[in-house]
Amino acid sequence: MIDPVAISNILAAAVAGALVIMFGAIYALLFAFSRLKQRPVLMIWAYLAYAVLVVAVGVLSITLNMRGFWQAVAVVMVVGYFVAPRLIWNLCAGTHSTEPGDGLGTVRHS
Amino acid sequence: MADTPWWASEDVWRKWAIWVTAFMAVVLIFLTFDTVAKITAGGERVPGYDVINKRIFYTFNADRNMQEPVIGGDAPLFGKMLSAGEAEELVNLGKLTVQAKNCMNCHTLLGNGAYYAPDLTKAWLDPAWGAESVREQLMVSFLMDPATNARTYGTGRRMPQLDITEDEAKGIVAFLKWMSSIDTNGFPKGFTPIRQEESS
Amino acid sequence: MSIAALNSANLNAGQKVAVKYFTVAMVLFFAQCLFGMLAGLQYLQPDFLYNVLDFNVNRMVHINAMVVWMLFGFIGSVYWLVEDESGTELVGAKLANVNFWILTLAVTVVVLVYLFVQTGPGTKETIWFINEGREYIEAPRWADFGIVACVLIFFYNVAATFMKGKWSGISGVLVLDLVALAGLYLAGMFYTTNISMDQHWWWWVIHLWVEATWEVLVGCIMAWGLMKTLGARRKIVTTWLYIEVALMFGSGILGLGHHYFWIGTPEYWFTIGGFFSALEPIPLVAMVVHAVYDSGTHNFRNSNHPALAWLIAHAFGNFFGAGVWGFMHTLPQINLYTHGTQWTASHGHLAFFGAYATIIIAMIYIAVQKWRGDVWMSGDLADKGWKWKWSLGLLNVGVVGMTVALLISGYEQSFVERALEGSTWGGYFSAQTQPWFIQGMHWRMLFGWVTTAGVVLLLWDLATIGKKETRRAIDPTVTPATT
Ligand code: HEM
Ligand code: HEM
Ligand SMILES: [Fe+2]
Repeated sequence: MIDPVAISNILAAAVAGALVIMFGAIYALLFAFSRLKQRPVLMIWAYLAYAVLVVAVGVLSITLNMRGFWQAVAVVMVVGYFVAPRLIWNLCAGTHSTEPGDGLGTVRHS
Repeated sequence: MADTPWWASEDVWRKWAIWVTAFMAVVLIFLTFDTVAKITAGGERVPGYDVINKRIFYTFNADRNMQEPVIGGDAPLFGKMLSAGEAEELVNLGKLTVQAKNCMNCHTLLGNGAYYAPDLTKAWLDPAWGAESVREQLMVSFLMDPATNARTYGTGRRMPQLDITEDEAKGIVAFLKWMSSIDTNGFPKGFTPIRQEESS
Repeated sequence: MSIAALNSANLNAGQKVAVKYFTVAMVLFFAQCLFGMLAGLQYLQPDFLYNVLDFNVNRMVHINAMVVWMLFGFIGSVYWLVEDESGTELVGAKLANVNFWILTLAVTVVVLVYLFVQTGPGTKETIWFINEGREYIEAPRWADFGIVACVLIFFYNVAATFMKGKWSGISGVLVLDLVALAGLYLAGMFYTTNISMDQHWWWWVIHLWVEATWEVLVGCIMAWGLMKTLGARRKIVTTWLYIEVALMFGSGILGLGHHYFWIGTPEYWFTIGGFFSALEPIPLVAMVVHAVYDSGTHNFRNSNHPALAWLIAHAFGNFFGAGVWGFMHTLPQINLYTHGTQWTASHGHLAFFGAYATIIIAMIYIAVQKWRGDVWMSGDLADKGWKWKWSLGLLNVGVVGMTVALLISGYEQSFVERALEGSTWGGYFSAQTQPWFIQGMHWRMLFGWVTTAGVVLLLWDLATIGKKETRRAIDPTVTPATT
């Protein structure tokens, strides 16, 4: 069912796990800021953060000896953490769209 | 100003919240029925309490890629074969004592509890307690007077005097022996039990 | 109405009860740290208080004080907002008061028995009257029934008040969540010989509290808090509350599986626990992003700086403690090494502090402000607000420092005990005597002092902030448009 991490990889696996979540959040924040402040440069940084996340998932799946079902979990993470921040951004903008001064497609000056 | 799109509306998310919660709760309840049946004492994963009459050892199962408990021939605890009822009573006294003495706020059981003292999940099979011929008695005297019989391995941490009686101590040993027969999916990692020839 | 003096006339009936709960909560927070320090010291000086106040007693008081102060903080928070949110008076003000005193008395008796009786013979009577011996829910059975009765009275009071006044999305979620929270406690109220069964249901209480019902409860408090301190719009915070419920329950309920890897439960929990706990950080990411979005659109103009600072600490603490530290050890391939080591303690400290201590402290700042007659608590306070700033800093640095120290010890422990030495008692002790492990314990102690200093300063600040103030608070709901 599972193939536990090798002794020499414990640290790498733990760090990779932490990085997945942290860069998931950094990607989400940069993505949101880039849209909110209309700053396309930030989008480049956002995708760089996502790239780190993908590498971290890769390290995680190698160190945790993921096969079969667990590989599917790794794929779900790569896809899920790509899509989720965009959905979160859309929800932020969508739910605030009735507020003056922000929301979908509205430029904010501040 | 724009209208709230339907997928971001309060109404839609109220429905999602309700349906997702209900669905997950129902799945959990179904799984719980199955799990409770599988961990009831006397099943395959959690043996009946009269397992304390038997020898318990571990072998590596290559299919599962983990060590699993095996129940061997007769090895009565304290030299006495017990009926199923007597065995349950003894293990129960042990479990009550474990709770009454607050063991879990120093030790872990099945890996849950506190981290000040060693895990007790497979304590019954731990090499630290020597051959089976002496371990039962060694454990009982330790539990009854841990201060004098302390084994601190250089940490200086001694188990406190908990006023455990001889009966309670025997109950605890029975409880530990029974617990060591639970199939814990290979926890603790790479556990090295006492050598088989010593325990037979 | 007087300004700047603590005056109950400034409070409505629910809030008068709330400040009592808050007061006891803060006293218990201090007690928690005191007993944590004793337990931590015993790692370094095992003979300290040996056979007088042993490690198990200190640790029990440490974690029970925490559970109780957080529950008091939650109850207080709900009483605080119930009249405002329902638009009517609390139906049973007297009842709430009596209930508070009974609950506080019961907690006092339980703690005194923990300290002076400590343990009993291996009988059912001990479990009924002294100590149940089950982590976090050690309270003896009589107290369980007492707690359930008190919570039901509290629940009646809150639900009946909403029924009399008006319901809202927030109050609907809140009341349903309270039902679930109280109901789950019942899963921890029975005795069984079978340790697998015992731990199986024990996790229902612990996990489904902290990773499901408590999260949603603070979500309700947060929703209300955002309206009050930032003037966020009701429709938006309500929608977000529903989003959070969907994501949190969607991942957290089956995330329970990450505790069912090694306790005798079947192997299918590997897949369920692994999959759903990989999803658990998503709602936490969503909350961070939304919190930043929200404060961004309101330009951080707010009426209560300490409260807002602690709400931000909550968003980040929840994300790091639960999300990052939780995910790090949650997949079974790695949990096999880390399960039941200092690694777990590292996660436990950051998660409980980051997710729950923070938001309750924020609520108490909101309460103090009103208690002093809506006194000014924005920038340029009389003494530059050094006390709240320093206590915020010390507490966060202290807990993060302890967390990192425990993580280093935990890594050492899982490596030496589990990976190298085959998980025997010999392996355990050899890990405990490694230099890295011991150093981690020293650093934990050092940051424990920092944390304790932070608590002392926090209590001092809560007692004095705004005392000499003459200005009235700004009202965030009528500030000029943010564009
Ligand atoms: C605010 C939310 C949370 C709090 C307060 C919290 C607290 C805790 C505590 C105190 C423990 C130790 C229990 C014990 O004494 O045995 C624990 C264990 C654990 N938590 Fe959390 N937790 C939270 C969220 C999470 C999340 C989101 C995850 C996963 C992504 C997670 C994963 C785990 C795991 C895997 C364990 C078991 C550790 C072991 O095997 O020893 N937790 N949690
Ligand atoms: C004042 C500084 C503190 C010190 C010195 C301290 C020390 C300790 C010690 C020694 C333990 C026992 C760990 C073991 O079994 O080996 C413990 C457990 C625990 N403490 Fe603290 N603590 C402190 C503050 C806090 C705070 C502020 C919180 C949360 C708000 C907290 C939450 C916990 C939890 C949840 C556990 C149980 C962890 C587990 O079972 O994995 N502690 N603490
Ligand atoms: Fe959990």
